[in-house]
Amino acid sequence: MHRRTVIKNLALIIGGAALLPSCLQEKGKASIGLKNVDVSADQEKLIGDIAETIIPKTNTPGAKDLQLHLFVLKMVDDCYTKKDQQDFMTGMGQFNDLINKRYGRVFGDCDTKQREQTLLSIEQNKDPKITTYSTELKIFYGIVKNQTINGYTTSKYFMTKQVVYELVPGRYNAFYPVKMKQAV
Amino acid sequence: MSANTYDAIVIGSGISGGWAAKELTEKGLKTIMLERGRNIEHIKDYVNANKDPWEFPHRGGRTQKMIDDYPVLKRDYPLNETNLDYWASDKDSPYTEVKRFDWFRGYHVGGRSLMWGRQSYRWADVDFEANLKDGIAVDWPIRYKDVAPWYSYAEKFAGISGNKDGLAILPDGDFMPPMEMNCVEKDVAKRLKDHYKEARDMIIGRTANITVPHNNRTNCQYRNKCWLGCPFGAYFSTQSATLPAAMATGNLTVRPWSIVTKILYDKDTKKAKGVEVLDAETNQTYEYFAKIVFVNASTINSAWILMNSATDVWDGGLGSSSGELGHNLMDHHLGVGASGRYEGFEDKYYFGRRANGFYIPRFANLGGDKRDFIRGFGYQGGANREGWSRDIAELNIGGAFKDALTEPGSWSVGMGGFGETLPYHDNKVTIDKTKKDKWGLPVVAIDAELKDNEKKMRIAMENEGKAMLEAAGVKDVQTHSSNPFLGRGIHEMGTARMGRDPKTSVLNQWNQVWDAKNVFVTDGSFMVSSACQNPSLTYMAMTARAANYAVEALKKNEI
Repeated sequence: MHRRTVIKNLALIIGGAALLPSCLQEKGKASIGLKNVDVSADQEKLIGDIAETIIPKTNTPGAKDLQLHLFVLKMVDDCYTKKDQQDFMTGMGQFNDLINKRYGRVFGDCDTKQREQTLLSIEQNKDPKITTYSTELKIFYGIVKNQTINGYTTSKYFMTKQVVYELVPGRYNAFYPVKMKQAV
Repeated sequence: MSANTYDAIVIGSGISGGWAAKELTEKGLKTIMLERGRNIEHIKDYVNANKDPWEFPHRGGRTQKMIDDYPVLKRDYPLNETNLDYWASDKDSPYTEVKRFDWFRGYHVGGRSLMWGRQSYRWADVDFEANLKDGIAVDWPIRYKDVAPWYSYAEKFAGISGNKDGLAILPDGDFMPPMEMNCVEKDVAKRLKDHYKEARDMIIGRTANITVPHNNRTNCQYRNKCWLGCPFGAYFSTQSATLPAAMATGNLTVRPWSIVTKILYDKDTKKAKGVEVLDAETNQTYEYFAKIVFVNASTINSAWILMNSATDVWDGGLGSSSGELGHNLMDHHLGVGASGRYEGFEDKYYFGRRANGFYIPRFANLGGDKRDFIRGFGYQGGANREGWSRDIAELNIGGAFKDALTEPGSWSVGMGGFGETLPYHDNKVTIDKTKKDKWGLPVVAIDAELKDNEKKMRIAMENEGKAMLEAAGVKDVQTHSSNPFLGRGIHEMGTARMGRDPKTSVLNQWNQVWDAKNVFVTDGSFMVSSACQNPSLTYMAMTARAANYAVEALKKNEI
């Protein structure tokens, strides 16, 4: 199989049954069914663009290849409190407004440098005492980042191609050279 | 023999119930094991055991719906999507918390033997003598020498891996080869030994995971997914060990969905004649009859059954004549510990996921050590390399960050204490007739709390944890101490204690109810004190001991 095909198939597997795009997708709605948050197609794209900036495609697949933004949305929909979900949506709106004001375009249309600078600036001001960014915006970004990384490091791609994960190790080696990467 | 008549009835199918069933059936008794919940078949019903991490939709986390559905279970680690089916429904089986008590239950064949922590330690003489020495509660009617041969018996069958460390406080057992400490753990252990001049030890955990093949069970494959059920049968559970042995005798009947509501007591013979069962699926009531009854429904539910029984003779139920039934509820208090960063060994890692850690046995109030509390505590812990959540300076996003995620982080060492809880008469369970469960049965009310001795001990657990890690060269040591509540140790004990005098105890030295000699209680209920070691191995040994006595007594027509 060609590498590209492999990755494409992987993305589908990683997405899992629950994340399969709905055939009856409403225009302008997110591509997966969500019960508790109302996310538009544009917002889904924004989360995908942020995730891709955190885990970019290099010589290995990036966030979009692995559909990590859909994992982020599933986690927001199922695992966060109403309050967190509200803050997430509010923060997402504020993030959009900020980019618009700063660059006059949407996040996905900014160049890599602008995108990276924006996210790094939020990272550097994440201390709750610093008010450069609103609490909601920081909550929004924090959730996107945490779940992007969670989704990445627990994806089949990562656990089989980037590190060595074995379902049945069969042994415990207490003195193992670090050269061989292993997920535990 | 009528269809509902057996030689023996075992109430409950967890660690001690499974042992009772094995011992009684192997000695030739036709036995029925009654389990209140569903059946879980070994291997076949471990539905998540062979899933890879990415196959869990929330990667093993908890959803808001789970949090809403499990108001008690959510209080600690058990609530997660990987083995939710193994935990009892808080909504179907509510209870009353006079004071907060985190009660985490397994209502199915195998009980909590499927999800237990597997750490297996013998008690020492100092533990059995403690109440007498301190003049509290009542004296244990037995000593280490009474249990020692039964510890060996239990260890040989269950399969306990461990190292013969030669420690007086933690007697060596009949072990399988130990698991190994990793390089950092070995280094920390050595530094501790040197610093405390051999007065403190750090040993590899003694665990009910087999390290060599045993009784058709495959040795541990280092998956560290025990709580999902082990397809290799590598850790001790009812399903992997005692149930197949009992079934092989041809003498065992297992009846799931059987809630025992009371023990049927015969006033004339002063013995139990059987039990009443509510079928949890059909709500029909049945009676089962036998010569002996083993009560292994878990500490709190066993007390509930006894309190519901023979109420026409004793208001407080069967075994209540001493006034101690339901009292003296204990657990191990935990949630206190320390952790930090370990510098060095950057070129070393480990391979495989060891379902075990290190153990630091009790040192408080032993030898020359004197404290402002009595008894002591042990620690469980481990050293490992951190994953992505570590701080990668200046690399928060982008390609370089992505690459760094594949590198192991620095070594960290962490440990948490398990403290002895004293038996207090007013830490108790009662029946709350104002509240009913899904089956219309009155629920238990739990009224228990940590008191002064435990609170002082927790301060020492925190401080000593920090001091020891720092003495071992661990950097940036942080301590934690949270949720000082009982229950979360999941080591409930003491509601039907043994003793030497029927006026002050529920059971005699053979786990027999003083008031009904053919009723034996061998789950955590019988414990007279809690020590600080994980208790299940002691339940196994004491169950085998009691079953042996019961069958001998039956043969001699004594019961």
